[in-house]
Amino acid sequence: MYNFIGYGIAMLGVGIGIGLIGFGAMNGMSRQPEAISKLQVAMLIAMAFVELVFLLTLFLGKGLIGG
Amino acid sequence: MNPNEIFSLALASSEAGKEGAEHHHSLLAVFVYFAFVLAIVFTLLSVAKKGFSPRGFKGFISQCSEQLYLFIENMCVGTIGAHGRKYIPFIITFWLVIFFSNVVALFFPVAPTADLSFNLGMALCSIGYVQYEGMKANGVFGHLKHFAGPKLGLAMIPITLMIFMIEVISEVMKNLSLTLRLFGNIDGGHQAAEAMSKLAGGAAGVHWIPAGTLLVPVKFLTCVVQAMIFCLLTCVYLSLVTHHEEEGAHAH
Repeated sequence: MYNFIGYGIAMLGVGIGIGLIGFGAMNGMSRQPEAISKLQVAMLIAMAFVELVFLLTLFLGKGLIGG
Repeated sequence: MNPNEIFSLALASSEAGKEGAEHHHSLLAVFVYFAFVLAIVFTLLSVAKKGFSPRGFKGFISQCSEQLYLFIENMCVGTIGAHGRKYIPFIITFWLVIFFSNVVALFFPVAPTADLSFNLGMALCSIGYVQYEGMKANGVFGHLKHFAGPKLGLAMIPITLMIFMIEVISEVMKNLSLTLRLFGNIDGGHQAAEAMSKLAGGAAGVHWIPAGTLLVPVKFLTCVVQAMIFCLLTCVYLSLVTHHEEEGAHAH
């Protein structure tokens, strides 16, 4: 049961993180539309790293608490 | 074994969990080959002079493959630099295998990339090739020196040693991160679809209705993005170990 609460908290943080990345990328894209392709690539890499945090949480939660 | 039998076996093994582990592994092999066959068929169709009916699909497959090639070429040249062109076959192989394995995951409950061992194998290939290229570009000792960080002088040897160990660990963790990212996304898609089906079934008062199918467009987006991210990260790792050669030539 507790691991689900933990997943929820992790999801909250990761949601904020990915939202901030999207926010920054959108700002940058609207300021410099010619840099969209470069910004998109960097944005996707950053998103992948943030997303990995949640996946690691999921695996650790399953492994340590046994959900 | 006809397709229906395979499909019912797949359903059984995905529901039975650990008890169906043996089925699961043999099925996994079947689906790995399925993905490979899809990729090979795509490649053959793209090089064939006549694709499908010329009325409906005028150069459709060849256009797709040309777009894919341009996309990967952009990725390689943009990330690695001018010498990134020689990695295109390697990266495009990864893209095709991952993409078609993910497409298998759209329609079947068992898929190659929804299994940790397949992903770990691909990550080992990727990172192993990165090490090989690093050694080829900088020499074995140059590559190892690259792990030790900047030159800090004699008094800082413990720090350099620590940086070296941390770098080696992070190099090993790259395998894990590539594996878990792909696995988590594809397997997460399966679990989300299953949860949605159960939820909709509960709301309708029956055991299960296939509402998870509604997730297919989102899962397709995940397929493309995950294949791209795996390739992109391989490119980034390759650029990290090979881009020092020009700078090194200028600095020394």
